[in-house]
Amino acid sequence: MSYKCSRCKRDVELDEYGGVRCPYCGHRVLLKERAPEIKDVPVE
Amino acid sequence: MTNDFEVEFIEPGERSARFLVRGVSPAVANGIRRAMVADVPTFSIDTVRFVENSSVMFDEMIGLRLGLVPLSTPIGDFEEGDVVTLALDVEGPATAYSGDLESADAMVQPADENIPIIELKDGQHLEFEADAVLDSGKSHAKHQGGVSVGYRHLQRVEVAGDAGEFEEQEPNILRGVIEEAAAEHADADADATDGDLVATDAFDNDLTNRYPGKEVEVHDVPDAFVFHVETDGSFSVEELVLRAAETLGDRAAELESKVAI
Amino acid sequence: MELRVIDKTDEELRMEVAGEDHTFMNVIKGALLETDGVAAATYDMNPEQSGGQTEPILSIKTEAGVDPLDALGGASRDVQTTVEDFSEAFEAAAP
Repeated sequence: MSYKCSRCKRDVELDEYGGVRCPYCGHRVLLKERAPEIKDVPVE
Repeated sequence: MTNDFEVEFIEPGERSARFLVRGVSPAVANGIRRAMVADVPTFSIDTVRFVENSSVMFDEMIGLRLGLVPLSTPIGDFEEGDVVTLALDVEGPATAYSGDLESADAMVQPADENIPIIELKDGQHLEFEADAVLDSGKSHAKHQGGVSVGYRHLQRVEVAGDAGEFEEQEPNILRGVIEEAAAEHADADADATDGDLVATDAFDNDLTNRYPGKEVEVHDVPDAFVFHVETDGSFSVEELVLRAAETLGDRAAELESKVAI
Repeated sequence: MELRVIDKTDEELRMEVAGEDHTFMNVIKGALLETDGVAAATYDMNPEQSGGQTEPILSIKTEAGVDPLDALGGASRDVQTTVEDFSEAFEAAAP
C-alpha cells in the first residue's frame, strides 16, 4: 500500500510491523493516494 | 380518416417554440408529445474512464454531471447504440466547462459550451475519457431530447355580455393561446381581428385586461392544440417534432407488416 | 415490437403487443376506433393489476364480415398517413 506523509510529502510504504509512522520524519499522519489505475465509472 | 392538418407557428425558435396544430386528434397529439420526450434518441455520456481526478468531487458525481451535458445529435448519421468518445483534461486553478470536452466526432459536440462541470483549485487535476451512447429517453432521462414538451387546447374567447356595472371585476386568469372571437371588444389591442391567435402573456394572462367590463366565455377549440416544445439543444425543435412523428410512423409500419403475415 | 395472439375468432382479437407503451397503443387504439367495421377497440396497459403481466394487451371487436387483423392493418396504415400528413404540414409551416 502506498501512502504519502502529510508533513514531509514523501511516499511511504506501510509495513505490517512498523505501525502507522513515517520512517523519514516520524510523523503519524499518512494520506492514502488515489490508485494510479484508470477507473471505469458507469453513469447512472 | 381525414387528415387536414394546419400548422401555424406562434413563437418560432431554434430551441424553444410554440405552434398551433389544427385537425389533430387528442390521441395523436399525446402520442407525438410522448414520443418527443421518450422516443427520440440523443447522445449522452454513459461511461467515464477516469485517468486522474484530484478534484473535491467523487468520480461518480462528476460522471452524473457529465451525463446531463446535452450533446448535439445529427439526424440520420447514427443509430441507437452508437458510441462516440469524448475526452477532457483540465488542471487547476480553473473551472472545467462542458466546452473543454474534446469530441472524437466533430458532429457530436456539447450543445452548450458554458456548463460548469467542476471548479478546480490549485494543483487539482481532472482527466478522463468518456463514451457517449445514443439512446432514448425511455432508458434514462439524460437521453431526453425534449425538455418541457406540452400542449394545451386552443381557447376561443367570446364576449357574452357586459359585466355588472357596480361590481368590482375579479381577475379572470387564463393561460395558453386564445383565438380572438370578439375583436371589437379588445380595447387594448386596436388592430385585433377575429381569428387572431394571441398568447395570453400579451395581456398579462388576465382576460379582464383585454376585455374590460365584459363578461366572457371561454371554450376549447376541438382538435386544435397549441404545443410548446423546448429541446435541450441536441437538435432544433423542428427536428425533434419530425423525428417524434417518424418514430410513431415507424412503429405503425412495423405493426402493419407484422399483422400482414 | 413482439406480437402474441391470445384469442382470435372471426370478430374478436386479443393480442399482446410487447415492448410498447401508451405512446403508441393509444394512437393505434384511436385509429382503430375511426376504422370502418370496428365495433370496439381498447388496450390494457396493466392487465392483472401488476400481478405478472405488464405488456399491453390490445382487444378488438369487429362487425360481422370484418377480420380484426385486417382492421388492425388498416389502422396502422392510417397512423402512417396521419403522421406523414402531419410532418408535411409541419415542415411547410416551419419558419
